Amino acid sequence: MAALGLITIAAAALMAAESPLVRWTLTDTLAPVRVLALIGLGAALALIGARARIAALLLFTLGIAAALAAEDRLLASLDHIPRAATHLFYTGPMTYLAAGIALIGGARWRDWLAPAAALIFGAMIGLTIKLTDPSLHEPAFTVTPLLIAFWIPIAVMLTLRGFWRGWFPVFGRILGSWLTAIGLLYGGAALMPPKREPPPPAMALPPASAPGAERAIPGLPAPDEPAPFPGGGDRFKQP
Amino acid sequence: MHKVGRFAGAALAIAFLCLWVDPAAAHIIRGEQGGFGSGFEHPLTGPDHFLAMFAVGLWGAQMGGRSVWTLPVTFPMIMVVGGVLGMIGVPFPAIEIGIALSICALGMAIALAWRPAEWVALVLIAYFALCHGYAHGAELPLSTDPADYAIGFVLATGMIHLFGIGVGLALHKPMHGRLARGLGALIGLGGLYFLVPAILAA
Repeated sequence: MAALGLITIAAAALMAAESPLVRWTLTDTLAPVRVLALIGLGAALALIGARARIAALLLFTLGIAAALAAEDRLLASLDHIPRAATHLFYTGPMTYLAAGIALIGGARWRDWLAPAAALIFGAMIGLTIKLTDPSLHEPAFTVTPLLIAFWIPIAVMLTLRGFWRGWFPVFGRILGSWLTAIGLLYGGAALMPPKREPPPPAMALPPASAPGAERAIPGLPAPDEPAPFPGGGDRFKQP
Repeated sequence: MHKVGRFAGAALAIAFLCLWVDPAAAHIIRGEQGGFGSGFEHPLTGPDHFLAMFAVGLWGAQMGGRSVWTLPVTFPMIMVVGGVLGMIGVPFPAIEIGIALSICALGMAIALAWRPAEWVALVLIAYFALCHGYAHGAELPLSTDPADYAIGFVLATGMIHLFGIGVGLALHKPMHGRLARGLGALIGLGGLYFLVPAILAA
């Protein structure tokens, strides 16, 4: 499934490179910052039991549906966070935190944490899709990232299940710590107010009463100074 | 007599090298940073940062059991705390010394095959993670893309941990772990290389 998806993306990129949809998909929907979180969710799905996995996938779908249907309410609830409007309402950091927490938990907790995390993850992904849609609600710009949002975690989950090794849960915890750290730093950096450079100093101009202050351009003679030309400025005065 | 001579020679060589080098340079990149690439190369191109991350993985593998994953899991989590402190600008004295000390201490722990109680190891790792995180966090807001920068340096840090774990597990059996201990001694010496100038500069 993973290979099929990759081939599809590669073919689309080659055949329709000029298409705005393809270009936007490659640069935005498939940006590393979004793909990594989806990979984390897929890894979490691979590490839980079958029932928890089904519940997680259903809740993931529910989260996306809720975000698409009740976008305004969700955004209003996130709007109180400082600088939310300029940082996509922190949907990115929250997806990382959700995936990270689902992975870090031990085997006992993961079956409960992963479905809850999938619900939050789905809601955040749904909001991201709506907020980053560059078109005027063209369906293709919603359907394409939705398909990718399902494809990546499912492909990762199936791949890991198919090539299962005993050390996967250990690696899952390490990956979870990375994703949690990224989410906290990503969100933390967005919460910090931007560092402002001090304004440049005002130009040092002489006060208005100082001699020569009426000189508009430095270097040119003042009105009462002799002209620089030979014979002075009175040459052409009439007697 | 031979031992004293060898010790004196080694001490002189170390002193010469220490006077010749710069202090700990985990945060060698000054000024505005880029995105993922800058973040990713930051731990890789800072030899002091690389050695410390590698030593965390190596020590965890040497201790075995839960420590194989608890050390590399704890480090990034606490590093975030240090990163936030760096972002806010909370004064943290002697960061350079802390970073250099992390290399020395981890190297010595590996060289001596020290296996303390898990909580002791985690407390030590936490302190070192604070120092390293602070150095990264101070530069994070200056980057043109903080999200990608954070992803880059956390991923690079994690991969260095995994590399250390891999090497540690591979060297666990040959010669009853003496190769890993020798590697730890080299790491510890590398830490001195950074520690002495950091102390002199303080």
